[in-house]
Amino acid sequence: MGRFRSLAVAAALCLSAASPSFAAQKWGIDGEMVAQFEAKVVDLLCELRGDCPEACGGGKRQLGLVRDDGTLLLAVKSNTLFAGATLDLLPYCGQRVEVDGLIISHPAMVIYMLQRLRKPGATDWVRATAFAEDWKQRNKTEDAKRWFRRDGMANDVIGTFGKVGRPDIVPPPPVQ
Amino acid sequence: MPRFVRPFLMVLLLVCTLLPEARADAVKRIRVEGELIDTWCYVTEIMYARGSAHFQCAVWCAVGGIPVSIRADDGTLYVVLRVEDDSQNVSNPAMIRIQSHQVTVDGDLIERDGVKYLLVTQVADDKGIVDLTHEKYGIQPWGM
Repeated sequence: MGRFRSLAVAAALCLSAASPSFAAQKWGIDGEMVAQFEAKVVDLLCELRGDCPEACGGGKRQLGLVRDDGTLLLAVKSNTLFAGATLDLLPYCGQRVEVDGLIISHPAMVIYMLQRLRKPGATDWVRATAFAEDWKQRNKTEDAKRWFRRDGMANDVIGTFGKVGRPDIVPPPPVQ
Repeated sequence: MPRFVRPFLMVLLLVCTLLPEARADAVKRIRVEGELIDTWCYVTEIMYARGSAHFQCAVWCAVGGIPVSIRADDGTLYVVLRVEDDSQNVSNPAMIRIQSHQVTVDGDLIERDGVKYLLVTQVADDKGIVDLTHEKYGIQPWGM
């Protein structure tokens, strides 16, 4: 990754965290495109295979967006670091929602990064940070800063297998 | 009713009947060999997202509910939606523990709008982490 891209990503992170009324921020990713549109929220396994539990699986299923032309978009990421968009979209299961974020086209697939959303016709946007809010509640804490360093499940796995996933390998400390 | 209207309506009815089938796409049984990866970091290329260098980050992303994919040796990506009878595809504890592993799986492939979705029916092999990329790239991101 080049230095310019690192700076662009860092700037996007700062802007998205700082401004409550932001529009979708670009990340400087190849193939990205700002995309605000209305769509129907679907459980992917339900949409693709007819396997449809109640309430889109209650947060345990990956969700997607079916646009008005019938195109299915895979919602991969939210506005919380290292977190997906399932909990943001879940309240709209089977319903229409207006979303704002990035469509990222890669030779291997097309994905969507959700940055904010609202009920169609509503004036106020809601930032896509439902994972952080849920994490705070689950962990009975005031903030979700660096949640990934404090998460019990993540720390259990990394503690067991090491940072490179191989308990037999201890990598040297990073060069300062 | 004009003569041409009835054939036109019949064709329209046929198209409407067939369209949902066409959109559902056929399911195809395949075998895939590849590495379990974090879909976000790999697709966006915001960091080096393969092998041991990216294990820690892949665990964070899987815990955070970002979809897990298998990157086949030819670069094709398959989003994993189910593993055998387990249809929890958000923050699945079993999937989290095998991030960055080299696996061989059989599964049902469904393609829709440029994305390949895989419903794994059997994990045939798990070699663990064999791509020791941290030796070249360090630990992604931030080196720690």
